[in-house]
Amino acid sequence: MRITNFADIIEEAAGKRRKRLVLAPAPEGGLPEALSRAARDGIVFPIWIGKARAGNQLFETQRIEPYEILDEPEPEKALKLALSLLREGKADILLQGDMAHQPFLDAVLDRETGIGEGKLASFVSLFDPPAPAKLTMITDTYINNFPSLTEKIAIVENAVRLSNLLGLAAPKIAALSAIEQVNPAIRSTLDAAVLAKMSERKQFGQAVIEGPLDIDCAVSEKAAARKGVHSAVTGQTDIYLVPNVEAGTLTTQMFVFVARIPVAGVLMGTSCPVILDLPFVPRENKRVEIALAVLLSGG
Amino acid sequence: MLLTSFSEIDGQAVRQGPKKLVVLAPEDEEFLLAVKDSTSRGYVEPILIGSEDRIKRLADRIAFDISEIEKIYEDDRQVIADQGIRMLFDGTVDIASKGQIPTAYIYRAIIREESGIRRKTVSVVTLLEIQGLGRLTSFTDTGVSIHPDFQTKLDIIANAVFVFHLLGYRKPRVAVLSGQREIGGSLTSAEHAAAIRKAYEAGEPGECEVMSATCLTDILFPPGKPFSSYDDINLAGSSFPEIMVVPELTTGNILAKLDFAFPHVRRRSLVMSSRGPVIIPSRSDFHDAVTGEIATGVVVAARIKEGTA
Repeated sequence: MRITNFADIIEEAAGKRRKRLVLAPAPEGGLPEALSRAARDGIVFPIWIGKARAGNQLFETQRIEPYEILDEPEPEKALKLALSLLREGKADILLQGDMAHQPFLDAVLDRETGIGEGKLASFVSLFDPPAPAKLTMITDTYINNFPSLTEKIAIVENAVRLSNLLGLAAPKIAALSAIEQVNPAIRSTLDAAVLAKMSERKQFGQAVIEGPLDIDCAVSEKAAARKGVHSAVTGQTDIYLVPNVEAGTLTTQMFVFVARIPVAGVLMGTSCPVILDLPFVPRENKRVEIALAVLLSGG
Repeated sequence: MLLTSFSEIDGQAVRQGPKKLVVLAPEDEEFLLAVKDSTSRGYVEPILIGSEDRIKRLADRIAFDISEIEKIYEDDRQVIADQGIRMLFDGTVDIASKGQIPTAYIYRAIIREESGIRRKTVSVVTLLEIQGLGRLTSFTDTGVSIHPDFQTKLDIIANAVFVFHLLGYRKPRVAVLSGQREIGGSLTSAEHAAAIRKAYEAGEPGECEVMSATCLTDILFPPGKPFSSYDDINLAGSSFPEIMVVPELTTGNILAKLDFAFPHVRRRSLVMSSRGPVIIPSRSDFHDAVTGEIATGVVVAARIKEGTA
């Protein structure tokens, strides 16, 4: 099934087996609203790792069941325990609790004790625009500062995997730069050209990469034609590959705050889905992120 | 008078025109159409420099009578750029506009003219009109410096502040943008932002307010104000900056041209030289957009003459 909007994601997740979602380190202040809702809807079975007394109280007050509580008041240990549950297959999804991003990600991606796949992790900003009627991605918008070509290959593969999961077998990818011509002084144009050539040789399967493209060529077929660029990607882009994290985070924020396009974030490159708590995703869309994690965890 | 929208600028351009405009290589239908429109609206009296063949053929095709218009026929791209920019600097014209000519040639010509006057950083200010904001904003430098350093960014800010003073903003807010997050160590762009803020506290770079926030999330949802839903976004009531300094050129180019993706955002770009505005349309712009940029040039040129700054 081709998933073309956030409502589809939520609907599709509702039809899946109930997943075990672990919240760690669990915040004492309250349950994230989206988690309460997903638990009530039977989409997830929540596992709380934190101070047991606080957890029991929260679940009882909110009348959510079933649930599981593991008493571990130390945040670092709580996260470690969560990661071991995920590695052993006793939990399916990790929801970031009360911990700063850097130590949280360091633990999650730790080679020995984390759930990195030994591959590069990257972040996808997933948008549900009013038109065209399809989901659009920008990546990497959070994890890697100035990815090398090798890292960009992994970032593309991560995004293609997400596309495939959403039912899009042959996503169209625009490798963005400042200009649509290859200029040795601008590294992103070189990387983009190499990625485009790799795609031509089917190194990304059915995915099609065009680059370098500037944003106007990527967004508008008409604008691209004015510059003499003709490609299956222009005006049809599913995935915008940004050259660096400055472009990634700042462009995402323009999409969210200026264009008001609904957003959800997805961390890719881990063996189990991880839901981060990032400031440019509105709390109301956490629900979509949980549903996406349910789809990503398979079954 | 404070100008808060492009339609206000267009209205002013009618009142303050016509200004003399030199167009460098108007050899594309959309560009020449823009010159035709701007002339008939009374914004400008144009002078066309470029290839005789192409200009005549295009003028015929769009039914633009150029018999009364001054023309200088020249094929060499760099000569066209040099000659046109010279006319701006010697006062023959009030505004210059890029046509079908590599932007680098024009920047080179401007930099050469400027070096005769004083050392000056040349930068592009991309003005944006965002529905719901209620005032103008901008990205800069969106065209010249690939990786501007701290000092260059101070100059870039000073250039943009000058433009906003002309548009009637007494103390424009400046955000030095960065992709800095809680992870990934320290980015150079964030270090620039901190250093510029310090310079600002010491009295640089002119009459403006350099904000401490370095991205829209921090401006709209500072700590303690969670982003719960899209209804929480209030651009008009926020301290949304007038000037956003981009970290580097590629990011700037992507941000500045997002109007292609967002129907409620419009864009006009110009370079402020010491002798007047140079309009820099994108090669993919259509004539309406270019006409709007010419109107902006007219207003800026008029206000420089009036000494509004």
